[in-house]
Amino acid sequence: MTRLFAAALAAAALPALAHHGWSEYDSSKPMKLTGKVLESGYEHPHGHVKLETPGKTWTVILAPPSRMENRGLAAGEIATGKTVTVEGYPNREKASELRAERIVAGGKTVELR
Amino acid sequence: MEALAIAKAMRENLWLYPSVEIVHIVGFAILVGSIVMFDLRVLGLSKSIPVRALSRHMLPWSLGALLLIVPTGLAMFSAHAGDFLNNRAFQVKMALLLTAGMNAAWFRVGPYQTVKAWDVGVAAPVSARVSVAASIAIWFSVIACGRLLAYL
Repeated sequence: MTRLFAAALAAAALPALAHHGWSEYDSSKPMKLTGKVLESGYEHPHGHVKLETPGKTWTVILAPPSRMENRGLAAGEIATGKTVTVEGYPNREKASELRAERIVAGGKTVELR
Repeated sequence: MEALAIAKAMRENLWLYPSVEIVHIVGFAILVGSIVMFDLRVLGLSKSIPVRALSRHMLPWSLGALLLIVPTGLAMFSAHAGDFLNNRAFQVKMALLLTAGMNAAWFRVGPYQTVKAWDVGVAAPVSARVSVAASIAIWFSVIACGRLLAYL
């Protein structure tokens, strides 16, 4: 019952969850980063990780936690200390921010858009 | 504020944030819907409907909707208060809300005092029409800013 309710709510929430667009990220410059998670937020409206890569620490914007859970990416898989790979696009203005299209964590690839 | 239990729950509970967002949206659909329908009547549409009767029907819904909108708005605000305060769209939205409130209050103590004379079948005074036209513009702008604050 709870699951059914959650699913109905999820369907109803979809437009609201398309919270902000991708236009502030430059999709002509796809990037792939691998590194250690220094800080992790499985939080609304968007999850994020601080990712330590050689020479630079990135703030990686992920999807809403409800979507990540729906797609099988649990909070523990992006926790501090884990190594993850993200593919995404850099922010046009914030030099160390990237929005992830997908993430490889805990041995699986999860689409985030 | 971001340290409050509700702020933390808004960030970390899987379904709270979207649920609260939905209630916020339902609330402002009722609020802005009822306001704009009243405003259009004062602008001169459907003049056979008595303004006072329409006001009695719409106003409780406009005010009641605030019970849905304000707590949910505060809950979302608490989750990332700092980000919101620094967000230009949020600042403009708050200023517009203040303006909308003052405009509505002015309408009630000003032009609406003579509503008996323009209740049915006649045009409302210019002051009333200017106020409701402003009301429509302000409320549409509030919605625009509310949406844009996720993009700025």
